[in-house]
Amino acid sequence: MARSMLIITRQSPWSGPSAREALDIALAGGAFELPLGILFLDDGVFQLVQAQQAGQLQQKDVTANLQALPMFGVESLYAAQRSLQERGLDQNALSLPVEVLDDTALRALINRYDHVITL
Amino acid sequence: MATLHLLSHSPFADSRLASCLQLLAAEDALLLSGDAVYALQAGTAQRQALELMPGSIALFALEEDVVARGLAALPERLQAIDYAGFVELCCRYDRTNAWL
Repeated sequence: MARSMLIITRQSPWSGPSAREALDIALAGGAFELPLGILFLDDGVFQLVQAQQAGQLQQKDVTANLQALPMFGVESLYAAQRSLQERGLDQNALSLPVEVLDDTALRALINRYDHVITL
Repeated sequence: MATLHLLSHSPFADSRLASCLQLLAAEDALLLSGDAVYALQAGTAQRQALELMPGSIALFALEEDVVARGLAALPERLQAIDYAGFVELCCRYDRTNAWL
């Protein structure tokens, strides 16, 4: 039985390679059918904003690539309610279908996985 | 089912520690290494936050990082460890969460 992993991504798409690296781990794991989850925490929730235009900054569009996750079998997607609220983001206007969790639910989520990594 | 949280960045430079404190479950533990041990600096909000954690949450720090930085007046609840202890802790808990 493959061991499960939760990837916690907590940087915006614009603050360096962290968001991209988290996505790469998820896509690689998904391709091997590992049981993976992704939690968008802190500035990581900014990855879920719609209509971002990476081309304006001559960058590749991480947020567009996030849409590939369900195709790679990564469908356990979560976002921290507190992080969304702090940043004024509407949980109904995100670019991916994520389950929004409060702090108590986040603690339970982390406890369900064999491995956890925070990028 | 408990998690050992590994922090190695200064809590004065970013929000890893603050976020981690919000996600700690009752039996989890915190292990400070590198610049994260500056959270032990007396008289700071970060130190106070560590003191206010529930008693069920264990607090560890890598001793050489603490000593190298000249930190004194450490919290009573702090358990100083060496690298062998670091490894032992990683095995003792169900999982680790490295806040990279």
